Formats: sequence, structure tokens, C-alpha cells
Amino acid sequence: MQAGALGGMFHSGPDASSTSSPAGGGGGCSGGGSSMAAAAAGAGPAAPPRAPAPRAPPPLARAGGRGAGRALSRELARRHLGAEAAGGHRDEGGRLAVCPVPPAMLSRLLLRAAPAALRSLPPPGAVGVLHATRPLHTTQQSLAPLPPLPEKGGEVRHGLIPEEFFQFLYPKTGVTGPYMLGTGLLLYFLSKEIYVINHETVAAACILSVIIYGVKRFGSDVAAFADKLNEEKVAKALAVKNEAIKDLETAIELEKKEQWRVEGRSYLFDAKRNNIAMLLETNYRERLLMVYNEVKKRLDYQVAMQNLKRQKEQDHMIQWVEKNVIQSITPQQQKESIAKCILDLKALSKSAQAAV
Amino acid sequence: MNLSFFDQFTSPCLLGIPLILLSMLFPALLLPTPDNRWITNRFATLQLWFSHLITKQLMTPLNKAGHKWALILTSLMMFLLLINLLGLLPYTFTPTTQLSMNMALAFPLWLATLLTGLRNQPSASLGHLLPEGTPTPLIPALIMIETTSLLIRPLALGVRLTANLTAGHLLIQLISTATTALLPLIPAVSLLTASILLLLTLLEVAVAMIQAYVFVLLLSLYLQENI
Repeated sequence: MQAGALGGMFHSGPDASSTSSPAGGGGGCSGGGSSMAAAAAGAGPAAPPRAPAPRAPPPLARAGGRGAGRALSRELARRHLGAEAAGGHRDEGGRLAVCPVPPAMLSRLLLRAAPAALRSLPPPGAVGVLHATRPLHTTQQSLAPLPPLPEKGGEVRHGLIPEEFFQFLYPKTGVTGPYMLGTGLLLYFLSKEIYVINHETVAAACILSVIIYGVKRFGSDVAAFADKLNEEKVAKALAVKNEAIKDLETAIELEKKEQWRVEGRSYLFDAKRNNIAMLLETNYRERLLMVYNEVKKRLDYQVAMQNLKRQKEQDHMIQWVEKNVIQSITPQQQKESIAKCILDLKALSKSAQAAV
Repeated sequence: MNLSFFDQFTSPCLLGIPLILLSMLFPALLLPTPDNRWITNRFATLQLWFSHLITKQLMTPLNKAGHKWALILTSLMMFLLLINLLGLLPYTFTPTTQLSMNMALAFPLWLATLLTGLRNQPSASLGHLLPEGTPTPLIPALIMIETTSLLIRPLALGVRLTANLTAGHLLIQLISTATTALLPLIPAVSLLTASILLLLTLLEVAVAMIQAYVFVLLLSLYLQENI
């Protein structure tokens, strides 16, 4: 985005309008508005002829005089760090007042902007000033990855003499050339006593025979052992990798199982919902019954009360009537009624006697 | 050139410049430079395996403070091993046949172990002067004996290495001289001495390796007692 902003500012035409509007907005700041607008306006019309033509040296280095450079840096500061960082502060009116950028900040901003500018720059042939940093971005890291080791070592004949020596002598002396050379040299050294045969010769023969025997007998085993050590090292690392892959695959399967379980969750919830609905229904019915019973109890109570009241009234009425009637029976009437009863009884007894 | 029996044991000198330091650097020729690789070639793998083996072997009995000696003991082992083995080649000079060099290796290292022990755990390291379970009347005599054996350790270390290697080389030279001298006279006896020489060479290879190992092992034992 940085490169795009700078590139838009310095190189491409269509972006000049977008850069010029914030520049115009920043031009409202005091102390540099006109120069900034001039710089932006200068960049605008200058950009189209610059784009097709071969690229000029870095605009940062060739920003003109100190005034234009400061304006540029202020523009950069404002763009990247915000208006406050460009040295602006809010006065009482609430507008941003821009102070000139301190020199320390200037260099820091240039350094921040420099790589982006450099990346969009032409190849180093045409330019001068800021390209001391360029090789740092283009040198190859030579440490990694290392080139692979060759499979086999150099070809050697008789364990000592490289094959290239024989190939070197082959065109002139043929196949037996090196051997003739060796024999001749040996005989030369021996006959001229440049090499003297002494006790060390015999000792040399012994130790060399021991060494050659050891190499021939144990060489392949030792090589296989070294290869096995390397194989084990690689196998350990591969085992870690395979273990990790296996664990991840198991985790994937478990996850898939969990997902399948989630699908069946809806049935579970339906069943639970049904259960709960039934419980609620049951509870509702119970409470309904309870309400009914309670109401019935109260109504029965009322009915019983009414019945009781009526009964009591009846009894009371009967008692009262009887009492009054008994009270109303005067002694005269009593005598009369008794006499009548006696007469009736006599009559009855007579009729009874007669019936019998 | 006509070699006398002294020539193998004289410190090499060229135009007045002593070459012993150069000959002490030769073992480095046999050690491959460690590459920046994870899987190295066979030679480097074997060297790595071997030095791991030595280090594990030496450091297992030692406590954590003794592990500070890992570098010097392992490198000493490789150094002595390679110097001894290279000395078996013809026309070479073996620095470990010089008593000066062996004493220069043995004495400071032994003294370092002793001073470490006396500084960090003085009573324990002095306690080593009396083995456990000695009967009481023997104690004074035994302390004297143990002190003597303690003080003779550097001498023993140095002289052991020197004597073994010097004797071996000398024997090889003598028997090979006998072989060479008898070859035109009685070839059969010469063949016999040649076979003896072959066996001796095998022995010398073994001795070269064992002596290096014994030197470093004894130093690690002295260290074990004192650290």
C-alpha cells in the first residue's frame, strides 16, 4: 500500500487525482499549503510524460530544493503517520496547525519510504544516490537450501589414484601408460637410492597390508553402518511426521463422527421436547383436577350449609308449631278430648266385643 | 636415508625450525569438517557417532559438574587416538613418544582434578587416601602408601603412554631390521620374523587405541573421585 501510494504519487497518471485531493485537503494547513499543492500539481501533470519515458532517478533524492523536500516529507508524514505526526497540533479553533517537520523525523520518514520507492525504481544503471542499499535486496542467500551430496565419491583406481589421472594419460600413452610411469618412477627411486630400502620398508609393508586388509574386509560393513545411522536419523524424523499425520487423521475422523452425531441431535431434542410436553400436560391436568376438586369442595360446603339451614329451620318450625299447639290446648279442651276418647274407646270395645 | 634407531624418537626439526607442533596438528587432517547439514556423508556420520560414543562412555559415571570436562576429555581422546594411529605409518613421527608432551598433558590435567577436589570437597577427597575397612594398626602405613600413589599418578600417566608407544615402535623397528637383515641370508627365518612383525603390528594398533583410552579413562576416574 505504501508502494502503491508512493507509486501513485510519483509515477502513474490516473492516481494523481486521488493523491492531489488529500494533498489539497492538507493544503489547508498553514505554512506549506501552497508549496504542497504546487508539488502535487507538479507531480500530476509531470506524471503522464514520465510514465512512458525511461524512468528518472529517484524522486526522493532529486526532490529539488530543501523547501520542496520538506514539503514532500510533510506530505509523506501526513500520509503515513496521520496529521498529528506531521508535527500538527490542535489549536483552540479545533483546526489542525502544521508545524515544520523536525529533521530527525524527516530522515526517519525518508528511510521508511525509501525501500518502497526503491522497489519501484528502474535498474541501477542510471542512478546514483540511494542505491547503496540495493544489493541487500537482491543478493541470494547462499546458506539454504544446501545442494544435495553426490551419491558416490570420485572414482579411484587401486584405492589411491583418481581415475582422472588415467584418463589424462590415456590419449598419449594408452591404457598401460600410467602403470609404466609408476613402475619407471619406482625403479628410478630404488636404483638411484633416492628411496633407500631399510627397516621402515618392511614395517611399511606390514602396516599397509594390515590397513588394506582391514579396509577390504570391513569397508562395506562400516559403510552400511554409517548408512544405517543416517537412515535411522531420517526415519526418526519421518516417524514424527507420520505420527503427526496419523493423529491429525484420527482427529479428522473423530470430528466427522461428532458432526454425524450432531445431525442426530434433532431427534434427541424432539424426544426431549415430547417428554417435556407430556410432563407439562400432565401437570396441567393435575392442577386442573385440583382446582376442580377445590371448587367442588367449596360448593359442596355451601350446599351442605344451605341444607343444614333449611333443616334447622324446618325443625325449628315444627317444634314451634307443636309447642304452640300444645300451649293452645286449654284444660277444658283437654278434658273434653279425654272424655271423647274414653267414649270412643268404650264404643270400640263394644264393637270389639261384638266382633269377637 | 640411513635411519638409525634414534631417528624415530627425535623431535623433528627442519633447518632449525622445530616441527613438533606441525606434527601435532596432523590428526586434524583425518577429521572431516562438519558441514552445515543434517544428514552428512558417511565419514562425518561415523565421526559424529564415534565422538558420541566416547563422550557417553566417559560422562556416564560423572555427575553434572563433571560434565564440564566433556569437551577436553573427548578431544584429548580423539587427539591421542589419532596421533598414536598415525604414528604406526612408516616414516612418521609420533609426538606421544616424547615424555615431555605426555607429561605436559598428564600433569596439568591431574593437578586440575586434585585441586578441584581439594577446593570443593576437601575432606571427601582427602578421605580417598584411606580405603574403607582397613584394620586400625595399618592406617598410618596405608595413608603414606595412598599419598604416594596419589602423587605418582601424573608420572604414571605420562610414562605409561610414553613407554608403551616407544617400546612398541622400537620393537617394530628392531624386528623389521632383523627381517631386512635376514632377508638375503636366510629367507625362511626372515619370513618368520616378518610374521612376527605382522602380529606385532596388529598388537601395536591395538595398543595405540588402548593407551589413548586408558589415559583418558584414568583422568576421568581421578575426576570422579574429586568432583
